Amino acid sequence: MTRVPEDTINRGLPGETVQPAPRTRREARERYRGSERRQARGLPSTSTGARSLRQAAKPGASLGAGYLGLGAAVLTAIEAVAGIVFFLVRLPDYANPWLPAGAWALYLVAAIGVGLSLMTYGERLTGTAFALICAVLACVVTLDFVGILPEHDIAHTASASVAAGFALLPVATLRPAREVAAAIAVLGLGFAVMAAVSTPITPATLPGIVSLLALVVVPPSIALFVVHRFRQLVQRELDRVLVQSNVQAPQFAVGMLASDELARLDLAAEKLLDAVANGSDPLPLSDASASVAASLATELRLHLIEGRRETWLYHAITESDHLGRAVSVADPQSLAGHLGPAQRDGLLQALWQMVGDGRPAQPGAPVVSVTLGPIGSDGHPVSDERMDVPIVFESRGTPRRRLGPTAWSALQRIGPYTESFRDGVLRVVSHCVVDRHPSM
Amino acid sequence: MDFIAQERDRLLRSTTRVVGITCALVSVVGIVSSLAVPLVPLLGALACIAVLIAALLVFGTNGSVWWTALALASGLGALALLLLGADPDVRSVVASAVVPLAAGSLSAPLMAQRGAPVGLAMTIVTGVAAVGAVVWASGGPLSGPTAGVVLGWVLVAVVSVWIARSIPRVARRIQSIGTAHRAERQASETEAQRRQGARLLHDTVLATLTLLAHSGVGVSEQAMREQAAEDARLLRHLRLGATPQPQQSGDYSLTRVEESPLGQTLESVKQRFGRMGLEVSWHGTGQVLLPSNVLDAFLLALGECLENVRRHAGVGEAHVTIVHDQETVRAMVTDAGVGFDLDAVSAERLGYKESVVNRLREVGGDAKLFSAPGSGTTVVLEAPR
Repeated sequence: MTRVPEDTINRGLPGETVQPAPRTRREARERYRGSERRQARGLPSTSTGARSLRQAAKPGASLGAGYLGLGAAVLTAIEAVAGIVFFLVRLPDYANPWLPAGAWALYLVAAIGVGLSLMTYGERLTGTAFALICAVLACVVTLDFVGILPEHDIAHTASASVAAGFALLPVATLRPAREVAAAIAVLGLGFAVMAAVSTPITPATLPGIVSLLALVVVPPSIALFVVHRFRQLVQRELDRVLVQSNVQAPQFAVGMLASDELARLDLAAEKLLDAVANGSDPLPLSDASASVAASLATELRLHLIEGRRETWLYHAITESDHLGRAVSVADPQSLAGHLGPAQRDGLLQALWQMVGDGRPAQPGAPVVSVTLGPIGSDGHPVSDERMDVPIVFESRGTPRRRLGPTAWSALQRIGPYTESFRDGVLRVVSHCVVDRHPSM
Repeated sequence: MDFIAQERDRLLRSTTRVVGITCALVSVVGIVSSLAVPLVPLLGALACIAVLIAALLVFGTNGSVWWTALALASGLGALALLLLGADPDVRSVVASAVVPLAAGSLSAPLMAQRGAPVGLAMTIVTGVAAVGAVVWASGGPLSGPTAGVVLGWVLVAVVSVWIARSIPRVARRIQSIGTAHRAERQASETEAQRRQGARLLHDTVLATLTLLAHSGVGVSEQAMREQAAEDARLLRHLRLGATPQPQQSGDYSLTRVEESPLGQTLESVKQRFGRMGLEVSWHGTGQVLLPSNVLDAFLLALGECLENVRRHAGVGEAHVTIVHDQETVRAMVTDAGVGFDLDAVSAERLGYKESVVNRLREVGGDAKLFSAPGSGTTVVLEAPR
């Protein structure tokens, strides 16, 4: 792409709304995260793919979180039932059972309320709703604590307050991790203080207190971890599936962003010409409009001659967040375009496997480098109709045995290969036999 | 689905690792702080827990059933040493300290036993043994520690089922996003091809924009307006899906037919080169109907060849012979110029490969180049009809 800033095209065009410059640093950061980084990856910001990626990257509820949250709610319910049974069994032992019973009642009412509102308004939780839930849970914990204070044995009497920790499980799937972590920390601190105040700390009581504290703090923390990993998995899979669409691309493609750009430039030119034609931009043109026309002409010319020089592999690597960071491709002769869909699929699969298993030697360095060609080298025969393209993978940080059978069968789909392992670098040379005049 | 299954197993294994190790460490704190276990069994139990943690670490990366077995065995060993080593009167205290170990660390491998019946069986047997041990040590099936251990196992079982079920669901949704994305990519690629293919239209638009870039000076205002209106109309039609083909510069007529006659456009190519000092003589048929994208590619390749003749051949005349049959149309561009050695001058340097061969191949055609020093140059262009 050229250095011609996009704003010169948008500036002054009739009917175009120019986005104002970001006012705060946060706004700038969010805009960068939201649209421009995604655009830099080669997808127009309005496409389904870009929208899904944005949605998956947003903190809080995301793709698949609803079902996971339902599972967490099941866990909460199981714990609540167990807690109530535990409480009822111990009921005669409590000096004052009414306050813990009140805590349970409040807890159940709140749980039913939250459940109904989620069913009505869908799988999302606003900040206000989260604050409200936290306040109610604080009341539950306080009621329970006040009720069990005279028992001087938190480990064997706390019930509704333990359930408050489990109530954070479903919340962890719907709210940003930072907020939930803060709630967990406050709750854990509350328990520690309560334990110190209410219970004599002796070797006989301490193990029970540690177990109780773990029961309160560990499950929601693990839920945070699982949700985090789940989101990573979703983002990775989304990335992989979106990139996979390149397998069916023609030999050379302009890419979705360039195509979007071309449509945008045509529209901008149309608007400018319309403005000239109906006299809303009077002739001779002002300097501003003339410079808009000049930059439009330049950009349009560039986009029209912008050949279909980039192969599907180039687009796949640049569009993918994961592959783009970890894979470097050298394909000076644009040989990747000759590969058939099955070979392309194998190549991508092998790359995903190597990237998934390998660790970069230093952060930012590519894990895998792929070289296609040169054609006609030793052991790679070329005929009139077909040629044997050598594809060399060099993967750092992937021990040979760590690469699973999936990776090897993916490599097999490209063609026969030989592999060697030296100095921590796995080197695979594929014989990829392709048509010299592909029909795609 | 293969890839996502692998990712799911990895997620479950790392969850196993985190749950198991966290719970083991919590238990260690509880056990040590209880001061109820004599030194020798305590050290033995701590060693067992260390082995358990190590086994879980390795299991997290490779998921082998042997590491499951080692983790379970060492966990049970630690449990036995602690409960049997403690005095009977403090045994219930130790039982409450080992609850995280029995409820979390031993149940965690349950999550990652998909497709490993042996591991699953071992884990369940271990669970029964652990519950039995805690029931014995805490003094009954209704005690707090027993309830805690049973609850832990139930929760872990639900977690493993639920995570394993969530992932195929989300994978299906991602697949459908991928399908939509693939359709969008194909549409966008076709759209780019259509827009790039409308070269003649863009030529006039670019000419008009260039005039406007000089503020439209030197052209009558009325003519400029009409030209702009006409170009805007063409662009609008392009946007709405038609492929307009301006026939001649200055006098546009929009055609919606998919095929355009070659003859009329050849004349304008001839005039263009005539103005630049290269006389082009046509031979053969002038009336060939071609699909518009093929016509564009063919004309641009032809223009490129003639431009090469004008620049490099050192003669003022070129001959173009056009022949066609049912399937293909061929143009032979010959000149009697200086020629060149094909090996000495690479085809890329003349822009020949880029602008001629590739352009024709995009529409299914091809080009061949023949030349020798002193005996002129011949290019044969081929395009499907």
